[in-house]
This record gives sequence, structure tokens and C-alpha cells, in this order.
Amino acid sequence: MNCAECRENLVACEEGLLDREESLQCQAHLDACAACRAECAAIARMQQRLVASGQATAEVSLVEPVMRRVRAIQIEPKRNTIMSKLLTRWGFGLGAAAGAAAIILLALLAFPRAQATAAEVMAKGAQAVAQLSSIHLRAQLRTLPADNFSYIDPNCEFHAIELWKQFAPELKWRIEKPGRVAVMDGQSTLMFIKTANLATKLPQPSLSAFDTEWLHQIANLSTTISNELNNALAKGWKLSVAEETAPNGSVKAVVTIHAKSGLPDNDYVKNKFFEDADTRRVYRFDAQSELLEAVQVYLMRPSGEVLIFDLSQIDYDQPVDPSIWQLELPADVSWYQKPQKLPDNEKYASMTAEQAARAFFEACAREDWDEVEKFKSPVSAGLKEFLGGLEIASLGESFTSEAYGGRYVPYEVKLRPQEINVRVSNANSAKRYVITGMADSRLQLQEEMKWSNEPEVLAPNDADAKLSPAEAVKAYVEAWSRLDWVEMRKFVPDHEVEQTKRQLEEAGKNGIDTRKLIPVMEAGEAFWSAEQSAFFVKCRMHAVKMNNVALRKDNPAGRWQVDGGI
Amino acid sequence: MDLTDKEYVERCCNGHQEDFRLLVDRYQKPLFSYLSGRVRDGLQVEEAAQESFVRAFLSLKKLRKPESFYSWLLGIAGRVAKEQLRSLSRRQQDCEVTESIMASAAESQTDYPLDEAIAALPETYRQVILLRYYEGLSCQEVAIRLDLPLGTVTKTLSRAYARLRQELAALEGAEQTVNQKELP
Repeated sequence: MNCAECRENLVACEEGLLDREESLQCQAHLDACAACRAECAAIARMQQRLVASGQATAEVSLVEPVMRRVRAIQIEPKRNTIMSKLLTRWGFGLGAAAGAAAIILLALLAFPRAQATAAEVMAKGAQAVAQLSSIHLRAQLRTLPADNFSYIDPNCEFHAIELWKQFAPELKWRIEKPGRVAVMDGQSTLMFIKTANLATKLPQPSLSAFDTEWLHQIANLSTTISNELNNALAKGWKLSVAEETAPNGSVKAVVTIHAKSGLPDNDYVKNKFFEDADTRRVYRFDAQSELLEAVQVYLMRPSGEVLIFDLSQIDYDQPVDPSIWQLELPADVSWYQKPQKLPDNEKYASMTAEQAARAFFEACAREDWDEVEKFKSPVSAGLKEFLGGLEIASLGESFTSEAYGGRYVPYEVKLRPQEINVRVSNANSAKRYVITGMADSRLQLQEEMKWSNEPEVLAPNDADAKLSPAEAVKAYVEAWSRLDWVEMRKFVPDHEVEQTKRQLEEAGKNGIDTRKLIPVMEAGEAFWSAEQSAFFVKCRMHAVKMNNVALRKDNPAGRWQVDGGI
Repeated sequence: MDLTDKEYVERCCNGHQEDFRLLVDRYQKPLFSYLSGRVRDGLQVEEAAQESFVRAFLSLKKLRKPESFYSWLLGIAGRVAKEQLRSLSRRQQDCEVTESIMASAAESQTDYPLDEAIAALPETYRQVILLRYYEGLSCQEVAIRLDLPLGTVTKTLSRAYARLRQELAALEGAEQTVNQKELP
């Protein structure tokens, strides 16, 4: 092998890609030739620099936030006036007070009078909070307690969502809802999903992460105002202001903005996440202090609007307990790992989304958890119990959304009968057994049923008035199987019945056979749990699950990973 | 198979704006690395990187040489970084602060010339380097992704290393000359 051949093959040689004979020849040439050895050493140094640079950016993930901004810009490009360009430029990187002054000036120039007044109210609000050192928001969001931070569902009950944010001396934040919490302590960003006992960590600080951007935008009032006005100008969003007098006589300025997601009406993701929803946003400022006091966000659907976000408590510059920036994790927590390349990675990397969905569900069906982990890792005990032994009824063709980098595959699976334990209690004014929660086979509470209304006091001759725990659950199960809403209300809170009703109606509108969605339950014996001081009734549930599994492969291994919809 | 930058840019300009995500995916990491040397901390880097991509998207139709997308993007990112530093100095009313930030940013820069050298590579070389080091793919996986024979990938890597060394020698040589001139 001569020098030219050696240098041509150097990379293949050190990557172990030459056959034995070529490799020996290359090595022999290197042993004998100082110039080629120097070349080899120079390549190694270059590789070290490249590896260091690549590793430093391994966690960078900008695609979704950039595409969200890009989509927002696309809605009405023709209305992207010179004023909006100026706003973008002036607003970018400016302090809140300076930014607010620029906004007032530009808004007065660019908007009709009524809209300019609205802009002025918001800009004054930004000035009022220009020097904030911390903010605490306590709000309610219609969502699933442990789901994605930006997930919204008008059929869900409200759940608390809180944000603590410190702006100075160092940016820190924490966002929490009942089943999920994320903390950025100035050094790194950590998220913990309580129900799955799963944690994930970004080694660097972040402005926002784990789909919390929308709530940060509300907390960063100056940026919010700049964004809202910018959007209003660029996309022709409607902006209006009104004056209200509160019961205590104080005057409030109410600014309303009609925001559009930019997604087509038939997009699967539309209205499922806060930033992908068409909304009407109502900001209430105190006219005297000019401080923002409340925000209500309504989801705008063809069938009408629904309040989905209600922020009524904002604490400005209150001292934050340092323990807020700490997150204690259980000792047995599982850690999310980015998928690594497998010895047979190509087999998975070359799959279509449909093939990946099938391979995932088939592995669940035969409870081959090593195989399941190739598509979703880690696999929690709860997921094993839920999906183990399933039967695939059907898998459909994959489809995409403009707001999602992966693909969705429709599926229908028959779940193995699940053991659930229904918690009952008679500690109520009606003195009869009603349902207060659902637990899994290990008595881990999966759903708390809060009775905001006291259970109805039934007439003494009502057969349901004196049921035992097991009989009460049996009566509820039977009522559910025939969708007897009146009878169901005797045993679970009104909002539970309403939610079930709405979900079935929604599914029916989407052409789904709703009979399939009604789980078949067999109620068994009742038992007392001393540990939880409660009666439980053991039940077996046969259910069909129909949904769209979200899969994406933009990871270092290039394999489809289950990202949601389970 | 992946398309070239030129093809993606043309698709974006012809109504397939969602394809811009593929350009973001391709260049987010090297862009982040490039900006890390120019702005103050990770949070501002993230903001500047997003802003750079958004401005690139808005001006995509003005790009005369779509095949030079990445070096054009770096030009935009450089301007965004400067604007950030300027606005910071306006806020703090203290030019010395900005200078010290620029100095500390330059110190914290892990490999400032490397990013510029990667940008100066011909696209075929750059794609192989980005997939190998920023996406962490093996040579075999790069070959599958780009639909190239394995031998072509290893030879392209060899040539890319040689070009990078040339570019770095030129950049680092120029930097040393400037520094020497500034000496008293």
C-alpha cells in the first residue's frame, strides 16, 4: 500500500471497516511511514474537536419551537406590514420598559384608535412589571393531571397548574400540575411524571422546556405583550379593550385578543395543545396599579367557546422559598434515556410508522418487554399491566399533523381484563356508599373522585339507599353498561358522569362506534384496606382502547419511538 | 434519502413550508455551537438560535444561492448575536460590560474556528461531518441515510478532514496574525 492508498483508506481503517488483509496492509504502511503517521495523528486531533463540539450540543432541540413560530408567521403573510417588522426588531432583546415604550408608539401609529388603546393598556402593564424579580401564578387548566403540560381538553375537569419564576439574580422556574412537575434550578432542567415514576433531565438551564413555553409566555408579561401585539399586527388578530367595575368599586381594563393557531381545521393536533389552539384570551389589568390581575383563555370551537385556562392569582415579587427549586425524586425512579443504536438498529430504522406500531403492539401482546423497550423506554410497571397480553383488533394508515414532527397511527386494541379496585366510602351526609376513587391492582390510586356536591339523600324505600360496598359498585357498573346517567349519578359525582357523556358524544361525532368504548366490568368482593383506611371492591374490567399512537424517529438511533397516544 | 439544502430551500419557497423543519433539524446543533461562542449563556443562545432560524425562514425567498443556506444562516446568526449584545449594553448602559461579555463569550467558546470551517465545507462534505458528529451516526448509518456506498462515505470523510484542516489553518493563522498586531 502506498501513501496515497493509505491516506484514502485511513478513515475506513480506524473505523474497522477494512477487511483483515487491507487493514494489515494499512497498519504496516503506517508503521513504516512517518508522514502518514503524522496525517493519522492530525485526523485523530480533528476527530476529537468534532466529537467535543457534537457532544456539547447533543441535547439541543429547536425544531418544534422554531416551527411553531414559523407557522404563526405564515397565517396572514400579506398583513406582515413594515410596522410589524419594526416591532419585531424593536421588541427583540429590549428591556420591558423600553420595549413597552416602543410598543405604545408603534401601536398608536399602526392600529386604529380602539386597538391602540388596548395596546396602550397592555404596554402600561408591561412597564408596571419591568423590574420584577419574581412572579408566582396559580391557575386552573382543563387537562389530564399527568399529561403533557400544554395538553388541553375541554371535556376534562379543571386541574391546578402553578408557576414560580425568579428573574433575578438568576433565572429559575418551576411548573407543577397534579401528576407532573418540571424545575429549572439555574443549572439544569428536570421533569418528573409522578404516575409513571419517570424522570428526565436536560443537563443545561432552559428558558422553557417540556412544553411549558405557553405558560412562561404568560409570566413574561413584557414578552407576551410584545408577542401579542406583534401577532395582532401581523395576522390581523382582533384586539379590543373594555372597562369594568369590580364589586369593590375598583376599575379594571379588560383587553381581549382573538388568537389563531394557524393550523387547518382538520389537523389532528389542532385544539389539543395550548399553543395549537384557536383561543380568545382575556387579560384583566387593575386600572390604578396597571398590574395584570387575571387571565382567562377560552377555546374557540365551531360548537362554541369553552373556558380552558383561568388564572386568578398572581403574586408579584413575593419571596420564593428556596426549596421550590429543588425536586426530591423517589429512590426507585426510572430515567428516560434517549434511544441508543442497537446491534440490529437498521431493522428498526427501516420500518414504516405502521410497521413500527404493529411491532410495538405485537411485542406488548406477547409481553416481550425487551422488544417493547426498543420502541418505548423505560417501560413502567403500570404500562406492562395495562398493555400486556393485549389483542390487536386493527391498525390504520399513518397520518401527520403540521404541528408534529412524527406520525400518528390509528389503532384499536382489546386489553387483557384488568384488575381494578374501586374505593367506596359512606362518610357523607346521605350515609350511603358512593365511589371516591379508582386504584390499580396494587391499590395505587389512579383517579380521585372528588364530590363537590354531597351525594343525594335517597328516599328510605329506594333500593339503592342501603347497599353494601360491593352492591353499590355492582349497581354502578350495571348502570354504566346501559348508560343510565340518572342511576350513575347516585354513585359518582355529577362531573364524572358529565365527562363520560361528553367523551362518548365526541367519539360518536368522530364516527367511532361508542358501544366499543363502554368497558365491561365485573364487580367482585369488597375488602377493607387498613393501610388506606378505606373499603375497596375488586373488579375486572374488559376494555377496548381506540386512539392514535404518536411515533417519531428524530432521535440519534433513527428508530420510531412511541411518543404518546397510549 | 435526505435532500440537499438547495432542494429543501426550493421546496420551502414553493409552498412546502413544513420542510423548513428538516433544515432546522439539520443545522440546529452546529448553529447552537456557533452561537455559544458569541452570546452570553445557554438561555440567550437558545433564544438567538430560534430567532436566527425564524429570520432565515422569513427571508428564504431572497436567498440567491440556496446551496449556501448554512453559511447564509450563520451570517444571520452573527447579526442576531450582535443585536443581543447591543441590547444588553443599552439595558446596562455600560459598554465595558458588553466588552467584558464579548471577551468572556470568546473565552467560553469551545471551538469557534471549527464552526466556521464546517460552514465553509462543500455541502456533500458538510453533510457527512454533521451526520457523523452532530447526529452521532456510524459510517454505515451515514451511508444508508445518504444512499451512498460505504466506501464513498469513508473517503468523503477523509477529504472533509483534509478540507477542515486547511480551513482551520487559514482561520487560526489569521486569528494569530490579528492578535500579534494588537500586541504593543
